Amino acid sequence: MPDTEIIEQLKQGNENAFRRLVENYQKLVVNTCYGMVRNREDAEDIAQDVFVEVYRNVDSFRADAKLSTWLYRIAVNRSLNHIRDNKKHKWFQSVESEVEAKNRQLLQLESSKVDQPEYDLENKQRAIILHGAINSLPENQKVAFTLSKYEELSYQEISEVMEMSVSSVESLLFRAKKNLQKKLHKCYKKKCM
Amino acid sequence: MNCQVVQKKLIFFLEKELSGAEMKAVHEHLDICPNCVLFAQEMKATLSILDTDKNPEITPFFYTRVKAKLENQVEAENQVAHRPVLVRVLQPVAFSIILLFGIYGGIRLGNTSSSKSVNVVAEQELIPYWNDLDAEPIEIFLLD
Ligand SMILES: [Zn+2]
Repeated sequence: MPDTEIIEQLKQGNENAFRRLVENYQKLVVNTCYGMVRNREDAEDIAQDVFVEVYRNVDSFRADAKLSTWLYRIAVNRSLNHIRDNKKHKWFQSVESEVEAKNRQLLQLESSKVDQPEYDLENKQRAIILHGAINSLPENQKVAFTLSKYEELSYQEISEVMEMSVSSVESLLFRAKKNLQKKLHKCYKKKCM
Repeated sequence: MNCQVVQKKLIFFLEKELSGAEMKAVHEHLDICPNCVLFAQEMKATLSILDTDKNPEITPFFYTRVKAKLENQVEAENQVAHRPVLVRVLQPVAFSIILLFGIYGGIRLGNTSSSKSVNVVAEQELIPYWNDLDAEPIEIFLLD
């Protein structure tokens, strides 16, 4: 069933169409959310909210728009809200020491797919450093980087999701990579990788 | 190209986003500089984490959980919308009446006390005598 038909039937309240939509796009939405928040449980939770929002607002979806673009946009916005809420939350419980946070991150990594045998301690350490570096990027850079690296979207596709020009996306990705390089270099000099 | 320049371009070198000439220059530097090679290798290994990291496996029954969430939300909204008229309308009205009575009572109480304001002044005049105790050193007070 093509997307246009799924949307048409969903507008008429067809539950089967909704199931189709979720099954067709759950990977895309969960992966995007995961790229943004880098926690599997949270990513699935946000993804569920994305589909609930789609179901409830399907009437506002324009027939000429691309369904995936719409899904990416909702997924990104909801993930950003989640990150902002988390930051506020963290601010309130600032008692939590950095060591504890790092330990939690390690545990999370261990329970994620990272626990494949070839994923040794060295790579776990690398993953923590990389995640930390990506997390510290400004919001717009993080969004562009996630869509580019996790979903492998083209500059054109990213520009549609983020509603900006292709050259702005190019510059965002350039700065994101520059920032990541700076963070990784600093870490390398301090021998933490 | 020296180390500093190379290290600022490494990520773009690894992503193959440099111009042909720059790619070549970085390559030539890496051929002779073990220090930059080490950093390049480490950065490559770190960035490759992204490839193994993406597309996490989704736990089963994802759709069922979406559906449950949707139904829970609809139900919660219905509960708010269909709360009996008695609760939705009469409750605020009752609270307003209590509040008004409270304000009215407060005003009445204020009026009665102002009619006794003479007494209040008399009471206030007593206070300085009590305050005289402060002027008396505590030792003398205790000795008495
Ligand atoms: Zn060098």
